[in-house]
Amino acid sequence: MPIVQFAPFASLVQPSFWHELTSLKVDVLRLSDDAIPVIATYTTGRSVKDRETGQEIVLGCNVTVGAESFRKGHQRPSAGAVVAQGTVKNFNTIEEFKSADKSSLFNHEADIIWESILRNQDTSLLTRFLLISYADLKKYKYYYWFAFPAFAAKPAWEIDDRGWVSAEEAFSQDALNGIYTQLRQSQKHASFFLISDKNQVLGVDKFESETQATIAFIDPSAATNNPGWPLRNLLAYLRALYPQKTSSLRVICWRDNVSENSPSTGAWKSRFGVLSAGASVESTSRLTAVGWEKNMQGKLAPRVADLAPMMDPASRLADQAV
Amino acid sequence: MHAIQQQYWAVREYLSPVLKESKFKEHGRITPEEFVAAGDFLVYKFPVWTWEKGDPTKARDYLPADKQYLLTRGVPCLRRATSLAYTDADEDAERLLSFGDSSATGSEADEWVETHAGRKPSHDAANPGTIDDIPDLDGDDHPAGGAGVGGVTAGMGNISLGGGAAVAETPDLDDIPDMEEEGLEEGDEATAVAPKAAPAVIDASNIEVAGGNLLQVRTYDVMITYDKYYQTPRIWLIGYDENGTPLTPPQIFQDISADHAFKTVTIEPFPHSASLQAASVHPCKHASVMKKVIERMNSGMIEEQLAQQRKSGSPVLKDTKPSSSSTVKKWPFSRKASGSGKGEADEEEIEGMRVDFYLVVFLKFIASIVPTIEVDSTTSF
Repeated sequence: MPIVQFAPFASLVQPSFWHELTSLKVDVLRLSDDAIPVIATYTTGRSVKDRETGQEIVLGCNVTVGAESFRKGHQRPSAGAVVAQGTVKNFNTIEEFKSADKSSLFNHEADIIWESILRNQDTSLLTRFLLISYADLKKYKYYYWFAFPAFAAKPAWEIDDRGWVSAEEAFSQDALNGIYTQLRQSQKHASFFLISDKNQVLGVDKFESETQATIAFIDPSAATNNPGWPLRNLLAYLRALYPQKTSSLRVICWRDNVSENSPSTGAWKSRFGVLSAGASVESTSRLTAVGWEKNMQGKLAPRVADLAPMMDPASRLADQAV
Repeated sequence: MHAIQQQYWAVREYLSPVLKESKFKEHGRITPEEFVAAGDFLVYKFPVWTWEKGDPTKARDYLPADKQYLLTRGVPCLRRATSLAYTDADEDAERLLSFGDSSATGSEADEWVETHAGRKPSHDAANPGTIDDIPDLDGDDHPAGGAGVGGVTAGMGNISLGGGAAVAETPDLDDIPDMEEEGLEEGDEATAVAPKAAPAVIDASNIEVAGGNLLQVRTYDVMITYDKYYQTPRIWLIGYDENGTPLTPPQIFQDISADHAFKTVTIEPFPHSASLQAASVHPCKHASVMKKVIERMNSGMIEEQLAQQRKSGSPVLKDTKPSSSSTVKKWPFSRKASGSGKGEADEEEIEGMRVDFYLVVFLKFIASIVPTIEVDSTTSF
């Protein structure tokens, strides 16, 4: 049986995020390089039809940060989006940025997630991210590196031979419409949920009492055969808490944007699959985590955002004159 | 001199009075109230658009505090407009578009020409070469000012957007600290390999334009603000490449049709943010274009509605508000239709284009300026 491969998150940093970080750095943080809590948002995976070739082009598995990421209590994501929490650690010099102990920063974040699984049984921290950065304020250059820790199951999850199929093959139209309506009316914007055998949307904490539940998550991936990154930690969560019940799991990757007016205009985009876990050693020690974002060349290295070309020449002159 | 011009525009906008009376059919301009109404309609009909508050200190008091501008994020842009370079061979591809019924009256001169109808991107355009400098119109022949101003002007010219300096300022990969960390993470069998994007050539002078089957999917955040001076909506663009990195001005200009790239589209400070810069289509021609489009749509609509009325055999309903269920397409209008040039007496009470549709039409017009950015999600109309 093929191994399930997950589409990694791709970060998208709005310029307003860097502007906000700059003013925070200048006015509030100054020389402090303490980690600051921020939030990011992601939506269901999107694809766009190329008008010239008729091909469906899959857009990236984006997770977005912007100016509002810094605002405390910002819990109103835009329509159809869900929130991921994370931290920014902004270093004062490029040398510190380079020589930072990335493994320990990363492991710290992974520990938080693991803790939330075992101790608090909390799903809200499952999708967590770390952003390390160095802001060259004079040149409007921002060096940054995202990490999205995910626990690597050993042995890896496998999918049965049918592979990922359209959700329509596993659920009736009525059932999907019902789920869609419940998600649309829900105020919580949950990233993870369960679908009971009666097609009710439930919290993940009901997993133990439900006999035939399908696990579901808002899937930022639009690739046909790759579920999005958040599923990895959901699987790790369930495996760690309910080892007896998780040798085989029904999964639905929810990809139909509930902020749009009607779902029935096109075919359902959500995917369905049955996953199975290999026999695993029962232990509560933390699994190893992976998830540093690769750069444009596919290497494990930081990225740089250069906002200088977009800056107004006049204001740049004025800034330099000070 | 761009900076002074921007100051001048800001002051001029501040001083100009808020348009009070609806004029959208006479000259294509709208009041802030109509902007809000049209925005509400757009948001309702196409939920990808949302109202935004923006920076509270930059809020315009003639607009509701929570409805300062419209925003949609992540609009895909599959190809570069420069790859749609226009050649003589494409002349056949032009077609006249008329809004509404073709039987509508109106001079043929007002037809809307769509070029490149159904064109494939030409492969010759795969390498468009260097993007020309943006002509600095005020740089050399600024009449006023002594040597001091001239000096600053020259300095400004040197760092003007898209000039040689800008090329040097674009991200240089050598600048990124060489800190690939081999041992950081082992290979992970469960990580899907991202589809290999085009080689990321970031040098602005040699950006590879995707041709054939290789696509560079850029995304844009698109904002629509209300411009008080021109009394029209104004569109703003912030672009990202396929890696989520902000686009530089020369890169953004690749997505703007050549007729507009260096003339009406400029990089300006975004009015609802303290620090953000965005590409914007200057609104000086918006009103006249919108007027033409609205006239055509309006007369087309009226024709259609007249025909429907005749078919149903109902008498002309004077002084009656059109009931919302009576027609499939509702275009009730409250003002006298102008420009249709016939049967005014009858048409006064017949439906026409409603101001709610203004932004829907506006997006169609903007789609002609940025042909490859899919701003117009409204094609179902």
